[in-house]
Amino acid sequence: MRRGWQVACVCLLGVFGAALVTSLGYSLSDALGPGPGFFPFWLSLIGAVLTGMILVQTGRSTLLTDGGIKILPTRQAALQAGSVLVALTAAAALFEPLGFRLTMLPFVAGLLLALGARSPLAIALCAVAGSFGVFHVFFYWLKVPLPIGALGI
Amino acid sequence: MDTLQHLTTGLAAAMSLQNFSFALIGCILGTLIGVLPGLGPAAGTAILIPLTFKLDPTGALIMLTAIYYGAMYGGTITSVLINVPGEAASVVTCFDGHQMAKQGRAGTALGIAAIGSFIGGITATIALVAVAPPLARMALSFGPPEFFALMLVGLCLITGLAGRSVLAGIVMAVLGLLIAMVGIDPVRGAPRFTFGIPSLYDGVGFIPVVMGLFGVAEILLTVEAPYRQVISTKITQLLPTREEWRRSMGAIARGTGIGFFLGLIPGVGAIIPTFVAYVLEKRISKTPERFGQGAIEGVAAPESANNAYANAAMIPLLTLGIPSSPTIAVLMGAFIVNGLTPGPFLFKERPDLVWAVIASFFLGNILLLVLNLPLVGLWARLLRLPYQYVCVGTLLFCVIGAYSLQQNVFDVGVMIVCGVIGYGLRKIDLPIAPLVLGLILGPFLEKSLRTSLEMSGGDFSIFFTRPLCVTLLVIAAVVLLASALRLPPAQVREAAND
Repeated sequence: MRRGWQVACVCLLGVFGAALVTSLGYSLSDALGPGPGFFPFWLSLIGAVLTGMILVQTGRSTLLTDGGIKILPTRQAALQAGSVLVALTAAAALFEPLGFRLTMLPFVAGLLLALGARSPLAIALCAVAGSFGVFHVFFYWLKVPLPIGALGI
Repeated sequence: MDTLQHLTTGLAAAMSLQNFSFALIGCILGTLIGVLPGLGPAAGTAILIPLTFKLDPTGALIMLTAIYYGAMYGGTITSVLINVPGEAASVVTCFDGHQMAKQGRAGTALGIAAIGSFIGGITATIALVAVAPPLARMALSFGPPEFFALMLVGLCLITGLAGRSVLAGIVMAVLGLLIAMVGIDPVRGAPRFTFGIPSLYDGVGFIPVVMGLFGVAEILLTVEAPYRQVISTKITQLLPTREEWRRSMGAIARGTGIGFFLGLIPGVGAIIPTFVAYVLEKRISKTPERFGQGAIEGVAAPESANNAYANAAMIPLLTLGIPSSPTIAVLMGAFIVNGLTPGPFLFKERPDLVWAVIASFFLGNILLLVLNLPLVGLWARLLRLPYQYVCVGTLLFCVIGAYSLQQNVFDVGVMIVCGVIGYGLRKIDLPIAPLVLGLILGPFLEKSLRTSLEMSGGDFSIFFTRPLCVTLLVIAAVVLLASALRLPPAQVREAAND
């Protein structure tokens, strides 16, 4: 837990530091009062200072012991979580070129397999329902715009 | 009289076939979200927002609010049957509800939970009708400094009560506020933190961020530790015995009162009223040793508090524009998506909409009672659905929701990144609630601060010369100080990060 907080603090310091430098490029005040950079500048500064304080506290504190809590997932869990992220990223990349239906058909089937579903019939039914079925409901009934790919599907 | 007229008109609107259908669909979907472990009300409400994109704002908000309190209601079923809360506020119900199920009294536990929730919800809605209009009228006299101070109080309450460290809470709130700064400056129109990316000119979308932080992160956690299977129990005899009624009535009344009053305070979160109601019942009981062993008051009180809170928490949102919890923040996002800003002006400008939504709470509570009592066996059967199918379905809705708001794949990317961030934050126990609140309140907070400073010509004393503003700032400071001194009990602080 302590290592986790330290890593998070370093990341946050990076974010606040970058935001602080960027906000200096905007005017902090103008004739009418505070400028576009006023709020981001002070927020970044406060965020950076407080994150620094947490980092120091984390180093000294005994509160953040691991306490038996396992932060890192098991290999199996990491593979499954990784497959979710890969599937989502692939879906985002193919969403517009291939269209919703052709993207979601393998997305649903592949993800179900990766997560441990084993019934071919259930997987096939879910893949068709999750791609063509959901598209029909959202696009035609609910009028929610979903992408149609280059193949017209 | 004016209020009654508005309420009658609202009831007529809510009872129209179209809005009644939306309320019914919302209650069913909400209960489903509550029933499915690993999908909380914030994520559930967020991922179902796309269903309402093309509805008229009244219908959309009736459906989304029904989803919200349906989810609060449905979480009980998993708490009782598998000892896993369907949403955070149902944690306390596990203590005695699951014990009752083990003793073969699952039906009674679910029955009293449904009845307690109904009484809590209806009572809180009646109180909402009485309290909201005068509060909204009072809020109309607020200027930008008062609104700034009020939003600061809300943020401080959420921040102070969330997680194990008040500093971490503040940092997360600041991060949320900073993310809200991305896009075109609302006062001067200058681009900020856009790095030449056109998709960032409109800012980082609230919906993709929430779907990532709650929806995707929740799925990543679920695939890591899939939920347990439902215990085999036959659900019979939903209605309590005479003795159980006698024990429950006082608990329901006290739970309702606690839930309502704590619901009025922004930042308290859904779980605290349930904890307080449970602890109070245990304290005043002549046989406290029964608690944790299947005491019916241990189910009746927190469930009543939970639903009274859910309805009362709409008061700060509707009258002041302050969301009390991440789920209410998602609802506020839904208002904004529909071109409406919750707050006192909404009562003035769209009374038809506000009163139809309020009236739909009565309708929704009745629908939920009908759905929960006779159909409880059906909901319980849904728990047997393998988690893989729930996860994939949720992800599908997340992708649709993130994309369809602006038809931009960039938002799907934002959702994925936020999912990873949310997963990491949850693993190391950093609070997410202040980040979400900061993100939604950011533009309003900045606008009221800068407008105040423009009014005073850049002089900060404007915040210290107006009595109400000073009072609110003092409250904000006291809340933060009390949290820093660790005055709220540890369980409350850790639980508040729902």
